[in-house]
Amino acid sequence: MIGSIPLGDVLLASGALFTVGIAGALLRRSAIAIFLSIEVMMNAANLALIGYGSALGTREGQIVVFFVIAIAAAEASVGLAIFVAVFRHKETIDVNKINLLRW
Amino acid sequence: MARLVFDAAAALTILFAAVMVVHRHPVKSVLALVVSFFGLAVCYVMLSAPFIAAIQVIVYAGAILVLFLFVLMLLNVGEETREREPWPFQRIFSGVALVVFAGMLLGLLRAHGSAIATPRAALTGEIAPLARLLFSRYLLPFEALSVLLLAALVGAFVLAQRENRP
Repeated sequence: MIGSIPLGDVLLASGALFTVGIAGALLRRSAIAIFLSIEVMMNAANLALIGYGSALGTREGQIVVFFVIAIAAAEASVGLAIFVAVFRHKETIDVNKINLLRW
Repeated sequence: MARLVFDAAAALTILFAAVMVVHRHPVKSVLALVVSFFGLAVCYVMLSAPFIAAIQVIVYAGAILVLFLFVLMLLNVGEETREREPWPFQRIFSGVALVVFAGMLLGLLRAHGSAIATPRAALTGEIAPLARLLFSRYLLPFEALSVLLLAALVGAFVLAQRENRP
């Protein structure tokens, strides 16, 4: 199965997915949408790891992706808790209106 | 045939990620991302990593995105408002940066992407060797990960609770 999928296809898909994630993080203004875009970027990195691991015939890539997914779960829970706390104070999660750290 | 399935799944993934970016309603964004992650799971199966595909569906699409949906329901966030930008050059600069970044990335992939195209040994989709690796050489990171998840649980609880203490 591995021989028939060239590594270039995997890397191209990974790069395109990462670019979509960058675009989302730059263009959206809701904090949750920016967070979702960061998740997309992380998944693009995961795809590249799996592709390289599959092309090199090792399983280390899958191990790293396993760790990345678990850490993403921890990060999502803490990030969403921060959003809930910010929403209690400011009644919004629009990043243009949240400037707690500016001055 | 495998390449065809992989390319179709990758195209579906990228398409629905783009749908996530352009949709203004956050719930629709999350649902588009669920479809995108299912496409990514198909990609992982085609790259002979079925365990990671299952994890992707169960943890990412099943747990993390449902957590997003719960928080959206809790906060009652509506559609993003599109008032006039105070500084429209921000948007222009971000577009230019995006084009430059995509060009650099594609150039890099064209230059180096096909350098490692020769698989040494074909990887089978068995899970037992993966588990053996995870519980022998990577046992310490695995246990550290459980401590990290506990810390994240406690941290999320502390951050999100109401401040009703004196």
